[in-house]
Amino acid sequence: MSDRPADSAEPLLSICLVGSKRSFSAGDELVCEYQVDAVDPADIQAVEVSVVWYTEGKGEEDLGVHYFERRLPADAEDGDLRPMRRLRTRLPNSPLSYSGAILAIRWCVRLRLFLRRRGDFVMEYPFTLGAVPIRVPAVA
Amino acid sequence: MARLFRFLEKKRGQRRTGSNLMGSVGEAIFCGALFLLGMLALTALVAAQVVRYDPQSLAIGLGWWLVFLVLSSFVVIGGVGLIRTALRVGASAERRGAMARQASELDIVHEAVPRPKNYPTVPPFDGLTNSPGVELAYRLPPSSTPGWRLLATTLFTLAWNGVACVLAVWTVQGHLARQPDWFLTIFLFPFLAIGVWSIRYLLLQIWLHTGMGMTTVEISDCPLVPGQSYQVAIAQHGHISVKSLELWLVCEEEATYRQGTDIRTEVRRVFEQQLWSHRDFRIEPIEPFQASAALPIPATAMHSFHSAHNSVNWQLVVRGEVSHWPPFERGFSIVVYPGEATLRVEVSANVARNALRPQHSVTGATTGATA
Repeated sequence: MSDRPADSAEPLLSICLVGSKRSFSAGDELVCEYQVDAVDPADIQAVEVSVVWYTEGKGEEDLGVHYFERRLPADAEDGDLRPMRRLRTRLPNSPLSYSGAILAIRWCVRLRLFLRRRGDFVMEYPFTLGAVPIRVPAVA
Repeated sequence: MARLFRFLEKKRGQRRTGSNLMGSVGEAIFCGALFLLGMLALTALVAAQVVRYDPQSLAIGLGWWLVFLVLSSFVVIGGVGLIRTALRVGASAERRGAMARQASELDIVHEAVPRPKNYPTVPPFDGLTNSPGVELAYRLPPSSTPGWRLLATTLFTLAWNGVACVLAVWTVQGHLARQPDWFLTIFLFPFLAIGVWSIRYLLLQIWLHTGMGMTTVEISDCPLVPGQSYQVAIAQHGHISVKSLELWLVCEEEATYRQGTDIRTEVRRVFEQQLWSHRDFRIEPIEPFQASAALPIPATAMHSFHSAHNSVNWQLVVRGEVSHWPPFERGFSIVVYPGEATLRVEVSANVARNALRPQHSVTGATTGATA
């Protein structure tokens, strides 16, 4: 959650999944490009990109991190974290995306930008893992 | 003023209507104040002993040592709370999650137990396969052990009725001495009523768990995979006339959440399928009733899932109606792994054609929305 002045100009965050699909099978390779723009590179404190699942529904939110990368200005050429960067990860066999009665499991690529004195900015790109139908049909 | 600072805010679990930063600041102030108060008071307490040594006050009892323990707990609770808050403010949820994952990967106990790899959040099935069955491969343990419930009921009944007896003797003595305490007399009636109810409930529980007889369920394989069919065997012991006995395959979602200071759990049954049923028969102690059935797991079933506050649980449930007995239901947990039909996503012809074209990117919204 970010806490920042409402009038400050917001940086531009973008996530691009390579390929045309937003539904993945277990074991598929997820390739994704992300970029930060419209911000002074000197203002960037860190950039975090992660592939996560989280729960929604009646219960408290649970979060699982499948892939995580944190980059500091010291990790980048010229200390500039804005240029486009690619992440590549093989997706696990579980938990599969699910929409139940009081519980849902969602997957997303999450990009989080930390700015000096302006908190953090988050962008998510949802996708589905597996093909569990919304309702499980009963076997006759 | 109300726009800048809200006096009343809603909080459920980790979700709150107000600013997370303000919440963390409040938590840090509270923990810091507790830590400081504890430290200062503890220092003063110890310093007083150092400056003016008083061996009498250091005797084992409720004096100096009790104050010392209470102040030490202030220091520990405040200090731990302060460190937790500092860690939470300094790191994103994903970073904390990644650190927790790294820590769990170092878990030596889980490494020692053989388990299919790369199935995070699917619960372990070690507890289901360590008891071999007579008819089939594995005998399943019951989901809830009646022993604990029986023990809790027994302790409650003993404690409640012990207090009730003392109060009853006290009240009767007062009446016999012609000095009745009417407030205590009126208070005693509901107290005794609860005592009688607890005895009745305890006897019912004992009757149910000793007279009804044991139920055993065995399965041919574990873990179970959707789209495949297994065998299940059931045995019911006892000396009873059964009106109906049924075996169900059940899937339930379970969600735990905090509401104020309460922790609540909601369970919702999302799938149930009758596997087998039998009516109007008698079970003798020398010959337990035995039956078997096919156990088909739906091809598109959601796999078993377990996280800190949410879960998807599959179980086999035996339901029975017996003459002169209350109806009973006994559950036996099973673990269902992701099936082939749910692991693979069908790729449509259109998507496949697009995948062969030169790559292009699908771009999402680019505003700084917060999680």
